[in-house]
Amino acid sequence: MADGSAPGTLDPVTFDGCATVASLFQKRCRENGGRIAHREKDLGIWKSYSWDDYYNHAQWAGLGLARLGLERGQVVSILSEDRREWLYVDMATVCMGGITNGVYTTDSAAQLSYLVNDSDSVFLFVENDEQLDKWLEVRDDMPGLRKIIVFDRDGLREFSDPLVMFFDDLIALGREAAEEAPDRFDGEIAAAQPDDILMLVYTSGTTGPPKGAMLSHSNMIFQITAAMPSLDVHQSDEQLCFLPLCHVLERVVSTYVQLGCSVTVNFSESAETVFENLQEVSPHTFTAVPRVWEKIYSTVQITRAEATPVGRWALDRAIRTGMSKAQLEELGKPVPPALMTRYRVWEFLVLRNLRRILGMDRLRRGGTGAAPISPELLRWYHAIGVRLYEGYGATETSGVATFNSDQDNVMGSVGKPVPGTSVRIAEDGEILVQGGHVFQGYWKKPDKTAETIRDGWLHTGDVGRIGNDGALTITGRIKDIIITAGGKNITPAEIESRLKFSPFVSDAVIIGDKRKYLTCLVMIDQENVEKFAQSRAVPFSDFASLCAATEVQELIRSEIDAVNQEFARVEQIKDFRLIDILLTAEDDELTPTMKLKRSFVEEKHKALIDSMYAA
Amino acid sequence: MSKTVLEINNLETFYGPIMALRGVSLRVEEGQIVTILGANGAGKSTLLKTISGVMDPEKGDILLDGKPIQKQDPDRIVRAGVAHVPEGREVFPFLSVAENLAMGAYTRSDTDAIPNDIEMVYDYFPILGERRDQQAGTLSGGQQQMLAIGRGLMTKPRVMLLDEPSLGLSPILIKEIFEIIRRLNTEMGVTMMLVEQNANVALHVADYGYVLEIGRIVMAGEAQKLLASEDIQEFYLGVTGETQRGQKRWKRRKTWR
Repeated sequence: MADGSAPGTLDPVTFDGCATVASLFQKRCRENGGRIAHREKDLGIWKSYSWDDYYNHAQWAGLGLARLGLERGQVVSILSEDRREWLYVDMATVCMGGITNGVYTTDSAAQLSYLVNDSDSVFLFVENDEQLDKWLEVRDDMPGLRKIIVFDRDGLREFSDPLVMFFDDLIALGREAAEEAPDRFDGEIAAAQPDDILMLVYTSGTTGPPKGAMLSHSNMIFQITAAMPSLDVHQSDEQLCFLPLCHVLERVVSTYVQLGCSVTVNFSESAETVFENLQEVSPHTFTAVPRVWEKIYSTVQITRAEATPVGRWALDRAIRTGMSKAQLEELGKPVPPALMTRYRVWEFLVLRNLRRILGMDRLRRGGTGAAPISPELLRWYHAIGVRLYEGYGATETSGVATFNSDQDNVMGSVGKPVPGTSVRIAEDGEILVQGGHVFQGYWKKPDKTAETIRDGWLHTGDVGRIGNDGALTITGRIKDIIITAGGKNITPAEIESRLKFSPFVSDAVIIGDKRKYLTCLVMIDQENVEKFAQSRAVPFSDFASLCAATEVQELIRSEIDAVNQEFARVEQIKDFRLIDILLTAEDDELTPTMKLKRSFVEEKHKALIDSMYAA
Repeated sequence: MSKTVLEINNLETFYGPIMALRGVSLRVEEGQIVTILGANGAGKSTLLKTISGVMDPEKGDILLDGKPIQKQDPDRIVRAGVAHVPEGREVFPFLSVAENLAMGAYTRSDTDAIPNDIEMVYDYFPILGERRDQQAGTLSGGQQQMLAIGRGLMTKPRVMLLDEPSLGLSPILIKEIFEIIRRLNTEMGVTMMLVEQNANVALHVADYGYVLEIGRIVMAGEAQKLLASEDIQEFYLGVTGETQRGQKRWKRRKTWR
């Protein structure tokens, strides 16, 4: 079914006979008709929406936008949490030849106006009154917008503004248009060209303002073609959509994997309920960022600490047995029958239940990416029977660039390049990528594009190495490399991901560039550290006093000492400080996927950092 | 250097399987008014009940002047110096005002000083003096609240626990009662722990405050600092940020800083 062409040739890539996302979408909707495409929780009850709903709403929204003046090649921005309307508008825009641009709901009004203006958006979709207020705050700065369309009417019944309309009105407008010209939408779909841009994904600019990466129909079709055969996804699968759809990873998983295999996508209610939703949905495949996998692991660790001695003993034995089996499998060695029998017993008594509690009893494959994950964590998941595989990619590679799979897994590496692409390491260690998934450039920034794509290779900005087995290992970001005052090059990511394996450490940033020694700033895991303090009778009131408690400081010190054991002397952390403010995704220091941003952290907590070098 | 009268460490209290206090630690210094803010069900009253011995904690210490008092019977805790002015006054309705006050002094052995102290209460609450022979049940809500506070004072407490003194009172009465609370504190040096829904008056009278949410302290600080916090302003003082629309339904995300 796939005929992925070699990079550099001119034949368009097709998947299932479709060369554009628009035509693939049309084909899938026709095939699947009344089957369930999406599920969303409404007042606590899961409701289903079919592929017909998907197609009809995309058509109506698309034709409605055309009535309002959307032309091919124009940009539509969406500022909303994940919900089905997000995808309806996405497909509406793409089928009408427009370009979709997602904006994070955690972005401020000022960031919104930058993104809307930089992308030349003509329409802005906002989720609700809260997001609408952001637009109202900066409306005068965004003269290019023709209409603001609101998904949710709640709290806005009294509101009226000539520039603002509601989603159901847009749908009504589109229905009228569809009756007048029933063939218009199909005509627009047919007009799509593989090289047309279909989305902008703004990369979090750690240096300079964010840049909009342009991805084309053929980029996405290539991504589906290359990844699908080895991903083992079936039509009957359930998926959970919870990472922001503005992020290329969730978009690939929830939009394009779905178009590839017609799986059902379930929307999580909110960021706080992901784990409950995970249990309810019990997905067959689950792709998340390391933070989520770390969190699930620490929850199990904490539950273990609170369990009865028998329960604890059983869990430990079960995981140890699972670990022995996973180790042999990792080395490709046969598992002896005695071990296999023991494993089956523990699987029956403990591991099966554990997976059910986590909502992973049906899970065939877990995926992790977008940030480094510690190999120990991957092994732990394999030990409990969750096949978790690490992949690597960037916005600029339309999502996935390399991945591990069931057939081919090298633990600790990010796997091999997706079929039909090449990866090589430049002399300075930078990872270079070539293939049909490499993006079309940055929106209106040809100079930045020229810096990133040189001599036909995408310069990722990541450093890594390729092993003899052909698997890629990432060591960090090129600009994150720490050169200590002693002249030693250190890639902090390895140490950081090892630190994050501790259930008490949520994230950490290693400091030490042009300094005498390494230090680190630690963001503690509030829930687990609170439980620790409570069980040790360590008094604390708010978050700051928790961080200040001697016992908590000692706890983190012992975690750091344990990590230090694994590294050479120059790579050892000499001192640390805790960030005693509870950070949220709205804070500059955190990305929407809750990773600490090195540059912002270094700047905002400069006094704290300096205090570690004061002596 | 002020002295810590009441120190609470990692207090956990349950209602059956429900954990109402999830590790609360706080301290009250001598002569201070400390307020505990929180929504309904946050655990404020549970905290006071646990201190005064009406409920027993599962875990944690309560130190009065450095001596543990947790899990003791309420009468011993009263004798140790904790006066609990409960939510909803709970005066003895069929006893007179004077008898109610005398009940407050029940645990005291210095009987000579009691009439003096009763006069002192009448000084602070003249209306109680006027109605000293009236049945307490026939007093108005505000007068009953005054009586409950007066009865608490009669134990000569080291620390007085006030559970929502503003409950069900008119704004003018709330002002009056809090004025007296402030006077008791400044003139008599009564140390108080004040639980309130009415964050505005509580923070204006208190020196220090804690915010309790679902059984856990999420914010602590000088009353002035809390008053200035955006979260307190929006969630407890009802100050909503201006929006272009002139109305705002959504709430900001709490950050407690």
